[in-house]
Amino acid sequence: MATATVKQTMEPVHRRTLKSFRTLIVVVFLIGTMLPFAYALIRLNYVTGWTLWQAIFEFPHVYGGLEALRFTFLEAFASSLLTVVIGLPIAWFLSRYQWKRIRLLRAFLAVPFVTPAIVAAMGFLSLIRQDGFLTKIGIDLRLEEGVIGWFAEVSGWQHPGHFIALIIAHAWFNLSLMIRFVEPTLSSLDPAWEEQLSMLPGGKSRVSRLKNLWIPVIGPAVLCAASLSFLFSFTSFALVKWLAPTSHTLESLMAEAGSSAGIVGYRIDSSELIYSVAILQFLVLLLTLWITALLQKRYSERLSLLSEQGVRKHHGPPSRLAKFVIGLGVFFTVLPFISVLFSSFQVRKITDGSVEYVWTLEGWRNAWGGDLSTMGVGEAMSNSIIYALCTLLVALPLGWILASTIFKLEQSGWSKSSKLLDLACMLPLAISALMVGLGVLLGGLRWYPEMFSWFLLPVYPHVLLTVPFVVRVMLPAYHSLDPAYTEQCQMLNLSPLRSWYHGTLMFLRGPAVVSGSLTLAFSLGEFGASWLLVRSGNWDTLSIVVDQLMSRPNFDPLIHPTAMAAATMLMMLTFFLFLFAERFRAHDQRSGF
Amino acid sequence: MNSKSKAVVLFTLLVSFSLSGCLSEEALESLESENSCSAEIQIRESDGTLKILTYDIAGFSDELIAQFVNESGIEVEFIRTDDAGGILDQMMLTKSAPLADLMIGLDNTYLPTAIQNCLLMEHSVSDESFTTSSMEFYRGPLAIPFDEGDVCLNYDEDALTAANMSVPTSLWNLTEPEWNGKMTFPSPTTSSPGRAFLAATVDYFGHSPGNESGNMSSWWNAVAKNGATFTSGWSESYVNYYTGGYGEYMEGHIGGAYLTVSYCHSPGVEAYYSGNYTHSTSLVLPRASFHQVEYTGIINGAAEVSAANKFIAFLTSLEVNANMPDYNSMYSVRNGTDLPETDGYRFHADQAIVSTAITQQLIEQNMDDWLMTWQDAVQIN
Repeated sequence: MATATVKQTMEPVHRRTLKSFRTLIVVVFLIGTMLPFAYALIRLNYVTGWTLWQAIFEFPHVYGGLEALRFTFLEAFASSLLTVVIGLPIAWFLSRYQWKRIRLLRAFLAVPFVTPAIVAAMGFLSLIRQDGFLTKIGIDLRLEEGVIGWFAEVSGWQHPGHFIALIIAHAWFNLSLMIRFVEPTLSSLDPAWEEQLSMLPGGKSRVSRLKNLWIPVIGPAVLCAASLSFLFSFTSFALVKWLAPTSHTLESLMAEAGSSAGIVGYRIDSSELIYSVAILQFLVLLLTLWITALLQKRYSERLSLLSEQGVRKHHGPPSRLAKFVIGLGVFFTVLPFISVLFSSFQVRKITDGSVEYVWTLEGWRNAWGGDLSTMGVGEAMSNSIIYALCTLLVALPLGWILASTIFKLEQSGWSKSSKLLDLACMLPLAISALMVGLGVLLGGLRWYPEMFSWFLLPVYPHVLLTVPFVVRVMLPAYHSLDPAYTEQCQMLNLSPLRSWYHGTLMFLRGPAVVSGSLTLAFSLGEFGASWLLVRSGNWDTLSIVVDQLMSRPNFDPLIHPTAMAAATMLMMLTFFLFLFAERFRAHDQRSGF
Repeated sequence: MNSKSKAVVLFTLLVSFSLSGCLSEEALESLESENSCSAEIQIRESDGTLKILTYDIAGFSDELIAQFVNESGIEVEFIRTDDAGGILDQMMLTKSAPLADLMIGLDNTYLPTAIQNCLLMEHSVSDESFTTSSMEFYRGPLAIPFDEGDVCLNYDEDALTAANMSVPTSLWNLTEPEWNGKMTFPSPTTSSPGRAFLAATVDYFGHSPGNESGNMSSWWNAVAKNGATFTSGWSESYVNYYTGGYGEYMEGHIGGAYLTVSYCHSPGVEAYYSGNYTHSTSLVLPRASFHQVEYTGIINGAAEVSAANKFIAFLTSLEVNANMPDYNSMYSVRNGTDLPETDGYRFHADQAIVSTAITQQLIEQNMDDWLMTWQDAVQIN
């Protein structure tokens, strides 16, 4: 009796402690997210002497600003559209049939999303080179001859080749978003609806079925994927830097001026540019996130309850067309990887003005030996892994606690607060990686200059940029938890810790491994913030080494295969992590990532 | 107040604070003091490692650095920037609390700004046996040259022949219709060769007291109107657009430009790596080139001054410096050295006709104005 009373009084204390802990974590995260951005803005405000409104209104007069804004919107819209065009048929066929080794197929189709942007850029660069696959089949995006030349002439569009390469790369990158959103919707749709509708006047023709069934059912999922695709294409940096070097997105424009911004009395034009562009980009991305959140709500409402297996059984094994489309999709996703691998073994050789590519291991030898870079790929890889592990140690628990807080708020009926916190968790995606990096740089130098020499500094932006993904994976997992298990644990009089272990943790292991692997993969491939913050040559990551090699004047033909060898190493590391994560992803996982 | 409300309030406060731009008086004063030469400079805390601020110089391989470490017993760490401009940015940013001891890579278009802002301190390395051309622009205790070369226009000989175009004899020729859309220039605001060529155009179009930039503004405006492509860096111009360089073998190549800014010896470098083959050559016009000298110097506030001096001595020693054509595709600054004869390196490297009219003082006083003038001139939309 006495023990029971103690337990009863302990419980509220335990709950209060938990509540305070959660509040602390939320506050730390929000401060951590906003502080670099806030500090960067305050600093730019002082250096330029511009008010916030001035910064917005001066945007049209910022050098290159309007052009970059136009290009950013154009490429982001075009990339989203192309993602839908390529992704929808793949998601359609993948969801309707019984595929053998569907996990593997999903993994192949989803791997581009976690591929480091610099590897994706190298992959597409190697595809469009003189001896590359696309050029060989007549699609010359480089010199714009043949079909592309004809298109350029007919449309009057100068140099569309690089733009096309960029939006294809973005569509490749975001393909998995379409699959992750559309496949669960389609595969869980009751086949009876389709059959019943075809007997009604409103479903006689294909067009009417499209209008009355398919658009209402998959529309929100498609729009969700498209809006996220827009978001990621809008802040694209490495792909733009390498595939469309003569154009600027707002992000790449800021990157160029980043190193000279925020310094009193020096290159004020750079500070003006960053100030103006950062605010405009922040507003656009905030609006996109808000729209995405609305669409995600509608998407969740559309999901039916029928089991995936039942729908697949109804349609049976894949048709020839389905096999062709999925085969093409897999080919599309693996092509850049194969191309990078092959390019790492080829070096150009000029003989009397004619070029040939000869097979060599020199690129790999240089890459391992570090003869052309600040370090060998082995050392750079261990740096990358150290950063990724440190990011994991912070981002996974942080994201997990944030997801559980959102879930608790939802359960306690604090619907608006939970939505607000959910949106706040996505904020790091609205603040570009470069702005986060710039804020850390300027703020760190002001308050504690030695921090700039601290090798773990890039972990901070990495954590901020990976937490939203952890939240997005863990939150749906919380939603699918059956409260009966926790209740049973409590009935068995287990301690709060043991109740949590048996009633919650045991069911969240899979999603935790998935989000952990995603965190590792994203940290390995993060480029924007690292590019600005990793200055010490002793701590260069693999992404930085690839960029460093490619940025160098390539008079020496060996530089190119060396860069490709480094990119291949990074690619293999990410591949391994992703395939490992996919083993733990539940069949009915409906998270966006 | 419950946890949710607290979070909301805090979030709102943070956003409002960030957007209000409110700063304390102390913070403003502290920021203002950063730009004066008299500002207190914090000496970097010694950690026994020589920290070098530089851009990616290919020649600084593991092997070369290991040689220095073995000879001197000094550990070295590189702090990387993208180019010469990045080095200056980094030095300006960390002026009051330097993070490195030695800089390698500021050229003579950036050096005056560094000196003006008290970013460098005296070194103790002898500058004897250096070429006259490398010592002409600056001879003082704050910086010492480690390589040099002439920035000038390069053109594609084959393309000009195929298009039946004549080789320009004046920069004004480039404003004529036959050159429409066939030129590319790196922006002087973001590229060091671009900046050097801007200085060359100031020289070419005749600056004079009261008219420091001469008529260069009219020329830049005319080439912009004649369809010139401006890019952020040398690579984008040379690799993506220029038809005469190695870019034609690279993925990002678009082509279309028969003329760009590079070095007078770039055709030699092309030949060296392409089995003595190149169809690129330099346009050698009087005063249309700028003699670029790259410097190394000890950063004001350095901790490892003695180690920095040893590295400068190592870098400028005949043994190491003679290899600059290999290491950094530039000329050595040591007397008695030259480009290698191998595979036409020296044969295809042209000699510029350079004047010494653009002095350190002129750059110090006018570079910001030149850049603004350039920006206004090329903005034609």
